[in-house]
Amino acid sequence: MDCTVAGIAPSAAPQVDFALVGHPESWSAAADVFSALRGPEQTPLPDDEIRDILPWIPPRAVCRVAVKSIAAAEAHGLYIDSFIPPDRLDAGCVQENLTRVRAAAAYAIKAGARIVSLGGFSSILLEGKFDQLPPGRATVFTTGNTLTVAFIVQGIEKMCALQGRNLWQSTLLVVGATGDVGSGCVRCLAGKVRRVQLVARNVERLRRLAVELEGEGVEIEIGTDLAQFSEQADLAICAASLPSPSLLLDNIAADALVCDAGYPKNLSPDAETSRATVFFGGLGQITGGLTFDPDLRGILNHHPFPDVAHGCLLEGIALTLEGRFESFSRGRGAITPKLVEEIEMIAARHGIYLAPFFNGDGPLPLTMK
Amino acid sequence: MDALMEMQPLTESDFSDSPIWQDVLAQAVTGELVAAMNYEALAGICDDPEEAGQAWEHSAIERSHAVAFAAAGRNIGVDVVSNVDGRHWKRLREAFLRCVAERDIIGCLIVQEIMLESFALASYARVAIVAPGSLGKVFGAIAADEQEHADHAMAILKAERDADPERFDDKLHRLHLEVMTTLAAMLAKECKDGHCEVCQSSCVKPSLFEVNLSAALLRGASLQQYIKTLDALGLPGEVTLAWIAQLPV
Repeated sequence: MDCTVAGIAPSAAPQVDFALVGHPESWSAAADVFSALRGPEQTPLPDDEIRDILPWIPPRAVCRVAVKSIAAAEAHGLYIDSFIPPDRLDAGCVQENLTRVRAAAAYAIKAGARIVSLGGFSSILLEGKFDQLPPGRATVFTTGNTLTVAFIVQGIEKMCALQGRNLWQSTLLVVGATGDVGSGCVRCLAGKVRRVQLVARNVERLRRLAVELEGEGVEIEIGTDLAQFSEQADLAICAASLPSPSLLLDNIAADALVCDAGYPKNLSPDAETSRATVFFGGLGQITGGLTFDPDLRGILNHHPFPDVAHGCLLEGIALTLEGRFESFSRGRGAITPKLVEEIEMIAARHGIYLAPFFNGDGPLPLTMK
Repeated sequence: MDALMEMQPLTESDFSDSPIWQDVLAQAVTGELVAAMNYEALAGICDDPEEAGQAWEHSAIERSHAVAFAAAGRNIGVDVVSNVDGRHWKRLREAFLRCVAERDIIGCLIVQEIMLESFALASYARVAIVAPGSLGKVFGAIAADEQEHADHAMAILKAERDADPERFDDKLHRLHLEVMTTLAAMLAKECKDGHCEVCQSSCVKPSLFEVNLSAALLRGASLQQYIKTLDALGLPGEVTLAWIAQLPV
């Protein structure tokens, strides 16, 4: 299909195998999309105009997505933006944002998508309550969190190998440990480290997770105060966005390895206050082929490497390429090492691998120690 | 329209913002008169007497809306002066008349029912929320009336699109570039091309915040109504999003 930005879509409805539901990570990300849609001949919209217009746009497809597998399969889908304004991701706007996610889901169902990945805050808002989504007889939903966990764990293991760290002797701090992604990471890594420190807001959930891990033979500490643990950890996974990066980075061990797996990602290493290595986790790269129509590559997925996307979105794509239209991740803290291994294998079979390492400053060198 | 009959005279002190409402009403009356003239012109190219009769009927209804808005103005002690030759309204009218000249009934319906009515319906609904007393009721009642018109036209337009989506979308895009560009300029936060020739003195937009409105709010609501209408017709969302993104601000 050749659907130019200003042009008209052809009359025949193109095939839609999957849909990816997302939202702008920031106002600058939204501005980039608007600028691309306006085209080079028009001046970009001023920031204040984007802030005025975006909240009025109903959830809709931003572009069509075509993916090729290294195993010769192909899939076609839509990237649907719920247009949740980036400054309204807080708790006060939950109902308003849920309405947007439901409308995005309805859009995907109407388009005929067989599987829908709920990216970013979309799945966090739902808290696994898929029954809050509109019913679609031929459409299933997945949070995509299992593949996110897979890429986080792969990232930690690969970085440790690259940096010559002994994972077995490490103290792992997981922030947001009781969430769907955080608990999945804990289950996958608890048996591979010496000690785990679990931080979350809900003490009761922390206790339950600690009990679950008792059989792993790992030393477990739980707490709600990040400052209580952070300076003892040499590995950290931040599975929840922190109000301020300094909460973690100012207290972490000087040479710690930190995986920023929150959404949006906001841990930027400050050379003056921290020598920690920070990398963005949970991201994968499609190697078989990825095209957007209109061509928003590098705009929707603004990363220093091509064809990189969040694991949550890639899970729906991998399942589509595999022909497995099922709610693989349901977002209720049920991610197990077995499921992680399974989705890893599915993704790898179609050429979807861990993304190269980078953080807010750009690509990270492959060997740092 | 029953609400129009329930208007009670209010004292001047109830409407300290009268100059603002005067300009808001002037835009509304002008829009209704343009709509009435558009339907009259449409009636002239309808071969089917029944369709022509419906167009005349719509014209009369739009004219009654203009009368009701003018009466609402008098009720708060302001004279509502319309100007169908005002800068933007004249261009909108000319776009419609080009469709008439081509005897393009579908084009006429697209301009009037999808574009102008989206703007009217969304704006009136927003004004109805904040306008005091009977003035709010008038805007609310007319917004409901306009919704009925739009529903009727949508059935015709949907059938037309279903028959040949590519041709329909091509026509809609051409008219979008012409009409929505003008409407976007009207709804821009500032009138960059000079006075609109409808507001009584200076531009009303900077004062709208005094009555809990803003040009940005009216533009946002109007664009949302428009894009939802295009969705209902079945146009692809990624295409209409690009159209909206390309409008002037």
